[in-house]
Amino acid sequence: MLPFNFEYYKPQTIQDAFRQFYSFRKENKKTIYISGGTELITLGRLNQVYTDAVIDLKRIQEYSSTFFHKDYLVIGGGATLTTIEEVNAFPLLSKTVKEIADRTARNKITIAGNICGQIFYREAILPLLITECLLGIAGAEGIFHLPLQDIFNKEIQLREGEFIFSILIENKYIKLPYVSIKRRKQWDIGYPLVTVAAIKNNDEIRMAFSGVSPFPFRSEEMEKVLNDRALSLEDRVEKSLLSLPGPVLNDVEGSSGYRLFVLKNTMMDAIEELEGERNVK
Amino acid sequence: MIKGVIKLGYIGKSVIRKDAFEKVTGEAKYTNDYQEMGTLHAKMMISPLAHANIVSMDFSEAWKIPGVKAILGNEPYPLVGEEIKDRSPIAYKRVRYHGEPVAVVVAETPMIAKRGVDAIKVSYEPLPVVNSPRDGLQKDAPLIHENLESYEKQEGVYPNPNTNIANLNKIRKGNIEKGFMESDVVAEFSVSFHPSDHAAMETRGTIAEIRPDGTIIFTASTQAPFAIKKIMKWYFGIEPGKVIVNTPFVGGAYGGKASVQLEIIAYLASKAVGGKPVKLVNTREEDIITSSVHIGLDATVKLGATKDGMLKFAEIQFLFDGGAYSDKAVDISRAGAVDCTGPYQIDNIWCNSFCIYTNHPYAGAYRGYSHSEVLFAFERTMDVLAEKLSMDPLELRYKNAIRPGNTTPTQVLLNSSKVGNLHQCIKRLKVLMNWDEGQIIAMDDRKIRAKGACCVWKTSTFDTDASSGVILTFNSDGSINLMSGVVEIGTGTKTVLAQILAERMKMDINNIHVKMLVDTQTTPEHWKTVGSRGTFMAGRAVLKAADDAIRQLKDRAACILRVPVKDLEVGYGKVYFVDSPQINVDIKDLAYGYKFPNGHTIGGQIIASGTYTLTRLTYLDPETGKGNPGPEWTVAAQGIEVELDTRDYTYKILKAYSVIDIGKVVNEKAALGQVMGAMSMGIAFGGREEFVFDEFGRVLNPQLRTYRPLRYGEHPEYIIDFVETPHLAAPYGARGVGEHGLLGMPAALGNCLSAALGVQLNHLPLIPEQIWRMSGGGKNAAV
Repeated sequence: MLPFNFEYYKPQTIQDAFRQFYSFRKENKKTIYISGGTELITLGRLNQVYTDAVIDLKRIQEYSSTFFHKDYLVIGGGATLTTIEEVNAFPLLSKTVKEIADRTARNKITIAGNICGQIFYREAILPLLITECLLGIAGAEGIFHLPLQDIFNKEIQLREGEFIFSILIENKYIKLPYVSIKRRKQWDIGYPLVTVAAIKNNDEIRMAFSGVSPFPFRSEEMEKVLNDRALSLEDRVEKSLLSLPGPVLNDVEGSSGYRLFVLKNTMMDAIEELEGERNVK
Repeated sequence: MIKGVIKLGYIGKSVIRKDAFEKVTGEAKYTNDYQEMGTLHAKMMISPLAHANIVSMDFSEAWKIPGVKAILGNEPYPLVGEEIKDRSPIAYKRVRYHGEPVAVVVAETPMIAKRGVDAIKVSYEPLPVVNSPRDGLQKDAPLIHENLESYEKQEGVYPNPNTNIANLNKIRKGNIEKGFMESDVVAEFSVSFHPSDHAAMETRGTIAEIRPDGTIIFTASTQAPFAIKKIMKWYFGIEPGKVIVNTPFVGGAYGGKASVQLEIIAYLASKAVGGKPVKLVNTREEDIITSSVHIGLDATVKLGATKDGMLKFAEIQFLFDGGAYSDKAVDISRAGAVDCTGPYQIDNIWCNSFCIYTNHPYAGAYRGYSHSEVLFAFERTMDVLAEKLSMDPLELRYKNAIRPGNTTPTQVLLNSSKVGNLHQCIKRLKVLMNWDEGQIIAMDDRKIRAKGACCVWKTSTFDTDASSGVILTFNSDGSINLMSGVVEIGTGTKTVLAQILAERMKMDINNIHVKMLVDTQTTPEHWKTVGSRGTFMAGRAVLKAADDAIRQLKDRAACILRVPVKDLEVGYGKVYFVDSPQINVDIKDLAYGYKFPNGHTIGGQIIASGTYTLTRLTYLDPETGKGNPGPEWTVAAQGIEVELDTRDYTYKILKAYSVIDIGKVVNEKAALGQVMGAMSMGIAFGGREEFVFDEFGRVLNPQLRTYRPLRYGEHPEYIIDFVETPHLAAPYGARGVGEHGLLGMPAALGNCLSAALGVQLNHLPLIPEQIWRMSGGGKNAAV
C-alpha cells in the first residue's frame, strides 16, 4: 500500500509524455516516469520513493518492442526482462537479466527501469557497457541517439524530462563469445556479491561489474591489465583489482574482503571460459 | 455383508485434503480477507532503535489528519507476557528492540493510519545494547529489565533479578563426575546462531471489536485461539466466556502464530474507539521483526565416551537469545532442557538452559520448539567426538541410540510405545545414503561430494492439562459435520481427522464435512495447534466422539429393529444386525430422529462429542528437571549430501534424507508433504536464514529482498522413508511428525560441510562466506 496519492498519466506518444512531464513540473509536482513500476510499488510503501505524479510509458508505441534494424538490434526500453530472456536476441543480455530478481518481478521489470532504477545493482547495463551500445533517448525534439559511455558515470545521466526509449546494440557484438556469471551470498536468489559480464572481441576481453561497488562499472584501466597476456592469469586478475574504481562494498550480502575473494575467482572463471582454457558454467 | 458396499478403509491412504479445492482456486479466506463495513484500521509505529529511552512523543501533527480516530502510545498499559509479565503491549518510556511498537494510529483507512504514523514525532535517547546472550551475561552488561523482581510470573519460571537472566532450567541426571571418570575421550564444542524469522506467507493479523455487552470478538490469524481467551483473563481480568475468537484458514504459522501480540494491541485500539472493529495486519517488515521471531542460541556441549564409543556423560550449557521480552522464550528454553541431548542413552547429564534477555526482537515458538537449535549443538559435537574416536559418526550414533528400557534427560523410562525405533531409522538411512561408499568422494580437482548425518528426537512439552475436543453433528442425509478446535494452519490435520472418523464409522469420507473455521464459542477447545499433536489429541477425541455417535445410533436402532444393542453394527451408512445384515436401518433415517409411517418420531438430531486430555504429564523438578514432559518421542535419522567447490566454498545441496519413525502413516502424501516442507525450512535455517545485526542491535535485513527463505527451484531432491513403531496411545499408532523433518537439517548440513573441509563449523547459517572465514579466508587479505 502506498501512503500517498499521485496523479497518473498514460501517454500514447513521446511528445505527449514529454508535454505532460513539463505540465506537471510547472505545477511544481515531483514527477517520475515508470514502465514496470516495481520500484514505485516496493519502495514507495517504505517511504523510500515519493512522487506527486506518475507518467506510465508502457502504452507508447514501439517502446516495448524488440527488432533488428540494419546493423543494430533495437530493444525497447519498455521490454520486460522476461521478454528479453525469452526472445533471446542477445544471449549475453538474456543470461544476465534472467538472474535479476525472480520471475514474477521480471515479468514487470523493464530494461530501462532496471538500468535507471534506484536499486544500484542495475545488472542489465553490464552487457550494454561492454558492447558500447547507443541509447535512443526521448527528449523535447523526439528521439536522439548517444553512445552509452558518453552519458554513463556510475549511473545514466539524463536531463530532466528525458527517458530511455530504446537501446541499440551493434549486430557484430551479439554473436561474440561471452560469459555472464552472478555470484550470490548463497544459492540462486538474491542480490549479487558480484556479477561479471564479459565478451571477447577479437582477442580483447571486455568486462563489466555489478555488486562490487554501489554502482555498475566498466574500467579501461582494468581491461588493459586483464588483456596483458605477458602476465599469468592470476597476475592479470590481481593487478587489475588495483584499479577498482572505488572501495568494495561491505554490507549484509558480504564483507568487502569476501567480495574481493569472490570477485577474483569470478574474474578468473570468466577469463578461463572466454580463453577456452576451461569450461565454467 | 450388505449388498453393493465397496470396501472402505482410509488409514494409510493419500486422501485429498478437504481444503484442497478452496486453496487451489484461491478462494480460501484468511483473516485479512474478512472486511466488515465500519471496520477501522490500525497501523503501528515501530522503533528504529534496539534500546533507547523515549524522551518525547508528539502526536499533534497526526491528530490533524482527517480520518484519524485514535492514537495509542505514551501511556502505561498493563504489562503482558505469557510466562513473565515484562512487556508493555505498546512501548512506554523505553524501547528494547528494533521493531518494537511505540505508537498505534487507528483511522478510517489503512492509508490514513499510515500517514498518521508518519506524522508522529518521537525522540529517543539511545542506550547501550545487549547484542548477544553471551554479552547479556557479562558483569557490566546493560540491564534490560531493572524491575525483573517485581514482574508477575507463572509458576515454574526462575528469573534472576538484577541480571539479564529471564529463566534457568536445570537437568541433573546421574553423576557428571562419575561419567567423566569413566570417559577415555572428551569432546567439547560451542555453536551459535542469531535469531531469524518464520516467514509464513500470510503475515500475522487480527481484527478486534468490543460488543455493547462487553463481549470481545477477535478474528485472528493464530495457532492459539483458545489460549487468547485465557490470556485475556490473565492480562485484563476478562472472563473467558466474554471472549470469542474466530480463526479462519491460517496461511502458514510455524510457531510464529502461537504468540499473542497483535490481538492485545488490536483490543486496546478497539477500546480506544468505543469498541468498533479494528483491523491490524503486519506488513512483511513488521512480521519479520515486530512480532515474535525464531530464537537464537549460543551453546556449549561437552561429551565423554569410552574408547569404544559408549557415551558416558553430557555437560551442556544453553544460552537462548530470548530477545527483549521473555514471552514464549522461557518455555522454549525449558523444552530445550527436556531434550537437551540427542536421542541417546546417557546416564550422566548436566544441563543449564538459560533464557537471556537481549536487545533483539523477542522470540516465539518456531517449528521444532528449540529442538533443531539444541540438536545443532549436540549433533555437531557428536561428529567432533566421532572424529576424536576415529569412529564412523553413524556407527557412534547407532551404538548409543536410545531404545526401550533407557531413560531420557528428565528420567522418563521409555518403552517401545513411548519411543520409536532409532536403530531401524539409522540402518535405513545408511542404505538410502549409500553411506558405506564413504562420506567424501572427489569429483575433480576442485569439487567433492560429501555426506553428513545426524539423529533427532522430540517430544512436545504441553501444559499437563492440555485437552482437545470434538463435536459431531449429523445431517439428515446421514452425513456428519466434524468440529474440532484444531486450526488448519496448512498441515492438513483436519483431513486426517476426517479419515480417522470415516475409518471408525466405516463410512464414505465424502460424507464427512469438516468445519475449517474455528469459533471458540461453538467449536470445542483444542489447547493450541502446536507441537505436532493435532492428529494425536484431536484424533483421540474423534475416536471418542465416534464411539459416542455409534452408541447413540445403536440405541435408537435397537428399538426400531428390535435387536439388542450388542448385536448391532454401524457401517456403510447403516445400522445392521450382525447376524442378518438385511435387517438394517439407514443412518440418514436415524440421524434426525426416526419417523414411523404414522408420524410418530423418536429422538432428534444426533450430536456426539469426545474429548482427550494428555495423560499423566508432570511438572519438572526445579533442581533436577525430573518429570514426564510429553506423551511420546518421535525419532529420526537424517542426512544431507552436497557438492562442494573447495576453491570458493560454494555448495549445492543435492539430496536431503529423512527416515522417521512415524508410528503409523495415516495419510502418506500428507505426511510426505509435512516432512518435505519441514526439511526445506531446516535447510533454509541451516544454510541461509538469519537476522544480520549491526553493532547497535538493529536488524539490517528485515525484508524479503535481503532475508531469503528457500525459493522454488532451490530445492534438493528429498528422500523420505518411514518406520512404523506404533505409539499405543495414539489413533492407529501415529506419532507426531509436523516438525521432525526440520530438526536435523542444520546439524546434518554442518556435519556434511565440516567433514568435507576438515574444519569444525560452528555458526549458522552455513553461507560460503562463513565457511571461507572458518577455513582461514580473509586472514591475509591482499588488496
